[in-house]
Amino acid sequence: MDSDNLLDIRNLTVRFPVRKKGAGWRDKHFLTAVDDVSFGVRRGETLAIVGESGSGKTTAALAIARLAAGETSGEVMLDGTDILPLSGDRLKNMRRRVQVIFQDPYSSLNPRKRAESIVREPLDNLTDKTEEEKQEIVDRLFEAVGLRPEQKRLFPHQFSGGQRQRIGIARALSTQPDVIICDEAVSALDVAVQAQILNLLRRLQAQFGLTYVFISHDLGVVQHMCDSVAVMYMGKVVEHADRLSLFNAPLHPYTAALLSAVPSVDAEVRRNARRILIPGDPPDPLALPKGCRFASRCPAVKPLCSDLSPELVDHGGNHRVACARVTEGKNPIFET
Amino acid sequence: MPPLLQVENLRVELAVRGGAAPVIDDLSFTLDHGENVSFVGESGCGKSMTALAIMGLLPEGIGRIASGRILFEGEDLTTATPARLREIRGNQISMIFQEPMTSLNPVYTVGEQIAEVLRAHQKLGHKAAMETAAELLDAVRIPNARSRLNAYPFQMSGGQRQRVMIAIALACSPKILIADEPTTALDVTVQAQIFDLLRDLRRQTGTSLIMITHDMGAVADMADRLIVMYAGRKAEEGAVDTVIEHPRHPYSQGLISCVPHIVANLTEERHDLTEIPGIVPGIAEFGQDCCLYASRCPKVTDQCRTARPPEKPFPNDQTAACWHAEDM
Repeated sequence: MDSDNLLDIRNLTVRFPVRKKGAGWRDKHFLTAVDDVSFGVRRGETLAIVGESGSGKTTAALAIARLAAGETSGEVMLDGTDILPLSGDRLKNMRRRVQVIFQDPYSSLNPRKRAESIVREPLDNLTDKTEEEKQEIVDRLFEAVGLRPEQKRLFPHQFSGGQRQRIGIARALSTQPDVIICDEAVSALDVAVQAQILNLLRRLQAQFGLTYVFISHDLGVVQHMCDSVAVMYMGKVVEHADRLSLFNAPLHPYTAALLSAVPSVDAEVRRNARRILIPGDPPDPLALPKGCRFASRCPAVKPLCSDLSPELVDHGGNHRVACARVTEGKNPIFET
Repeated sequence: MPPLLQVENLRVELAVRGGAAPVIDDLSFTLDHGENVSFVGESGCGKSMTALAIMGLLPEGIGRIASGRILFEGEDLTTATPARLREIRGNQISMIFQEPMTSLNPVYTVGEQIAEVLRAHQKLGHKAAMETAAELLDAVRIPNARSRLNAYPFQMSGGQRQRVMIAIALACSPKILIADEPTTALDVTVQAQIFDLLRDLRRQTGTSLIMITHDMGAVADMADRLIVMYAGRKAEEGAVDTVIEHPRHPYSQGLISCVPHIVANLTEERHDLTEIPGIVPGIAEFGQDCCLYASRCPKVTDQCRTARPPEKPFPNDQTAACWHAEDM
C-alpha cells in the first residue's frame, strides 16, 4: 500500500443484525451494508465516496470515524494504527483526530446550547486544555469559518442553514483533526449557500492541511471537490480512481450510467451525451445475487456476470474496477 | 385561442406579524398548450407559492390572493367557487408534490389512491377505476402493475412512490401538470428515469408542464422556457438556452455559475466557485420599492436601493428585472 496514505481501509465490513420475515427467532440474519471494502486516502487530499442511497457510503464513512452502529470488522489504519479495536483514552485520542460534519445542520446542533459552547464541546470532551486556550481556539475558529464574534452567544435557531453548517464545520475543526468526514455536508443547503460552504471547505483544507472523506450523491459537487473517487454500489466499491480518470474515462458501467444521468447546463455536453439508462431498482440487500450485484441492471451484462462476483482489479495508474467485462481499460458499454 | 394559462399581475400575501407580506409580487406569465415552463430560484423565493396559488391551495387563513388574475382557458380561477376549483383540480390541473413519502396516504393501497381520482372526477365505478389504475401504473413503468395495485406506499421504493404520484396526477389526463421539485428527494439515476417518463408522457398526451426546481441542469434538460424567481418577484424570463447562455439578471448569472456542473473534458484546473454572498431576505422585507437582490448583488448601484427595477424586455423574448440588464 501507498506509504503517503493517512488512512488505509482494509477489508472493512459493516453488518447490521435484522429480523427477517418468517425466520425463527433463533436465526440471525444480517444486512451487510459495507462488504469487504478496501481503499486508501492520501494525506491532505479529498476522497469522495459516491453512490445512490442504500449503497453503504455513509456507513463506510461512519465506520472510519468509529461511529457505525453495526458489527464492524476489517482494519481502518490511521497513520499505521488500526482504530477499530481502540478503547478508553486511545479511542478519545483517535476521536480528536477524526471529526465529522453532518448532513443536516438543523438536527445536528443542540438547540439548547449557544453557538460557542457547541464549538467548544469537542474540546471539553476530548482535550484537557485550559479555559483560556479553549476560548482562544473558539474565537479563532469563528473567524476562520466566517462567523462574527457577536454571534457566539446566539442559539442555533437564530442562524440560517448556511451559518449553522459553518458552526458544524467550526465544531469539527476545534480539535485540530487530521481527517474530516463530510457526510453530505452541503446537500441540505440552497445552491448559493452551497457554493459558499464548498469554497470554505477547500480554503480550510489548504489552510490546515486537512484530509477529507467526502460523501455525496451530487456528482457535480464531487467533481469539484475531490482528488480521488470511490464509487459504491450495494455495499461494494465498484470503481476507485483519481478524479481525472474517473470523470473522463469511467470504466465501470454503473459509473458511466451515474455520470450520464446528471443533467447538464452545458449545451455541448447535452448534445454529445450518451444516455445510459439503467432500468429497475437495486436488488434486495437481504437477498443479494451471487454474482455481480449490478448484473440485473447492467446494459453490458453477459451470462458470466451473474455467476462470478468481480474483484477490484487495477487497470493501470491506480484505476481499480470491479467488473468482469472491462478489458484493456475500456468501458464495456462503449464497445458496442 | 387564448393561452392555456395566463397569470396577470398576481400578488399573493401571507399574513405575518404586523401585517401582510407579498410572497408573490406582481407576477405575470403565460403557459401555452404543450409548453414546459420551469421556475427556478432558492428556497423562500415564492416558487412553490406560485404553484399553490394556481391550484387554489394557498394555506387557508394565512395566504390569500390580494390582486391579479389567473386565467385558465379564459376562466378566472381567483374568483372561482371552491366547488368549481375542486372540479378543475386533479382533473384539468394536477400537481406532483416533492415528498413522495408524505404526500401519499400510508393506510390506503396505491391502487385505491389512483382509483379515487378516477371515481371522483370521471365517475367511474370501482371496478373500472381499478382497471384504469392498473393501466396507469403500467404507463408509469411499474413492473407487474396489476399485482402492485394492492401494495401500500411503504412497500415501494422512493422512485416507485414518485411514479405512483405521477400516475395519480395523470389519471384524468390533465391539461396542466405542475411538478414541485419532483425529483429532489431521489437519486440521479432514478431522476433520469422520472424525467424520461415525464418527457414520454408529455409527447403522448400533450400536457403542459410547470416544473419547479432549483437545479439548472434539470431545467436545461426538461424545459422550453424558464422563469427565475427571487424574493417573490420575477427576476428573469426567457428561452432556456438563451438565458443559460446569456443571463441578463445578476441573480440568474449567480445561480448558474455557483453550482459545480459536470464538464465534458475535465482538466487539472479548478477555480473557486462563484459565491452569491448572504441569503434570501426574510418575507418581512419583501415588497419594498427597491431591488431586493441589491444586498447580494456585485453590480449594485444607488438606483437599485431606491427603486424597484421594471421588467425590461429584450428583442429575443427575454425579460430581466434589473436596472443594469443592458450592460450584462
